[in-house]
Amino acid sequence: MLKKIFIKLGQLDRRLIFVLIGLSVLIPLIKPGWINIPIKTTSNSEIVFSELNSLNKGDKVLVSFEYGASTKPEIHPMSVALLQHLFAKGVKVYTVPLWPEGLMMAKYALDEVQSSKLFNIKEHIDYVSLPYKAGGEIIIRGIATDIRSIFTQDVNNVLLENIPMMEGVYDITDFDFVFDLSAGVPGNAEWVQFACDEYKIPLSSGCTSIMVTDAIPYVESGQIRGILAGMPGAAEYEQMVFNYLNDNKNNLLINSDVDITPGKATSRMSAQSIAHLLMVLFIVLGNISYYILRKRSS
Amino acid sequence: MYEILGIWCVVLLTLSIFSYLYGDNPFYKAAEHIFVGVSAGYIFTITFWDTIWPNLFGRLIPGYVKAGFEFDITYVFPLILGIFMLFRLSKKYDWLSRISIAYIVGMMAGLKFYVFLNSNLLTQIKSSTINLSGTYYSIINEIIILIGVICGLVYFFFSKEHTGIVGKVSRIGVYFLMIKFGASFGFAVMGRISLLIGRFEELIKFSAYKIVKDSDELIIYNPTLFILVFMIITLTYWAYKDKNKDILE
Repeated sequence: MLKKIFIKLGQLDRRLIFVLIGLSVLIPLIKPGWINIPIKTTSNSEIVFSELNSLNKGDKVLVSFEYGASTKPEIHPMSVALLQHLFAKGVKVYTVPLWPEGLMMAKYALDEVQSSKLFNIKEHIDYVSLPYKAGGEIIIRGIATDIRSIFTQDVNNVLLENIPMMEGVYDITDFDFVFDLSAGVPGNAEWVQFACDEYKIPLSSGCTSIMVTDAIPYVESGQIRGILAGMPGAAEYEQMVFNYLNDNKNNLLINSDVDITPGKATSRMSAQSIAHLLMVLFIVLGNISYYILRKRSS
Repeated sequence: MYEILGIWCVVLLTLSIFSYLYGDNPFYKAAEHIFVGVSAGYIFTITFWDTIWPNLFGRLIPGYVKAGFEFDITYVFPLILGIFMLFRLSKKYDWLSRISIAYIVGMMAGLKFYVFLNSNLLTQIKSSTINLSGTYYSIINEIIILIGVICGLVYFFFSKEHTGIVGKVSRIGVYFLMIKFGASFGFAVMGRISLLIGRFEELIKFSAYKIVKDSDELIIYNPTLFILVFMIITLTYWAYKDKNKDILE
């Protein structure tokens, strides 16, 4: 009897599985109060946070945007939390998109931080946005050796020589840190290979889940200092930044009269966890069903 | 008005892509073609105006382009190589494009050789060594990594038959590889679910009569519900019309 049930479960119509997965994601999103799974920070996210937290006011950080609309749900919450963390510390931010869509993503992230009114930030004083340049690794190499051979203007066509923040910035060694937000190639591996390893510039990365196993060897060897792994990494980092902002609300750089709200990745984690549990259940049931069928046929 | 139209497009295209879960159908095909066309157009435009125009023509005709570069005659060579590349479209002169391809391959091979050797080989070998001054936990961790590296390499060593001790070591290498593939699969699933969450969030957001955007109320007339109902009716009609054929056929 039990065996028959397992065999039936193994022969479920795939469309029914799609519907169940869809519901497992949809219900926690519609009713977030029903399921509340706590978020526990992992060592890799903690390393990223402590590395960025050790930066001082006026330090220069290059933030590379290598993701687009398709991977926005995973990476974008990291971008927003990262910018909040850096602006709260008074760090100068330089954004560079290496993907065509990265240009829009950088704009959306900066707009989101601006519209939150949490910081009194000004373009060309606190941040500068460089335009997209095609070439991937070649552009990384260009940034490493001579930025001005590639970029002469920012996204608004203002000459770099007229931007106060660009004074004294000529190559990668003029930055104190590089943060890479990547969803593919060029991504964190290219930053390691073409710039940060050779010039010994600290690099951290936030990437899509699918890239994590390829990036981990670089993290283990210290070539990348910590990693934010997909949406869970984004949620962990968001939470650390949220706590940091609340603890430092009296900081001169944060507008204390503005409410600090947790980011989007945190609210998405319940849906992620429920969908994963359902997936694991289907894999286990599918394997039992397959095992019974194979045993019968032999 | 354009904003509302954009929201309806977002919902229509998202649901069209989701409709593939039921089966191949015209909604999915249309959305797929639109995606390819728009992506190609966007990448072409942004590459031309953000890279080719300022970085190439900005050095050849700086007085006209005004990108902040000075005149540099050497940039005639990339221009020629770029034009050669377009000869791929000509049957008679397509051999010219091979010169450009040869340059790109040669340059990238040279560049990659050094960086790969430095970052992926030498540094990784260095980090595979065991630091005996570390904690017990880190030493055990490093021993496991070292065993994994050696066994994995033995598995890919094909000059000797995988029997006896070599066979056993390579078998352990297979287990390490399987763990890696399992982890990759798990992360891939996680990534896909994250993307699904992103799309569902948009659909939920646009399943209202009005939304608040930049502190203004925007009446959007519940696009998610209307388009979903329209697509279900249309797909059911198509499926009913020809039961034995694929919806698209």
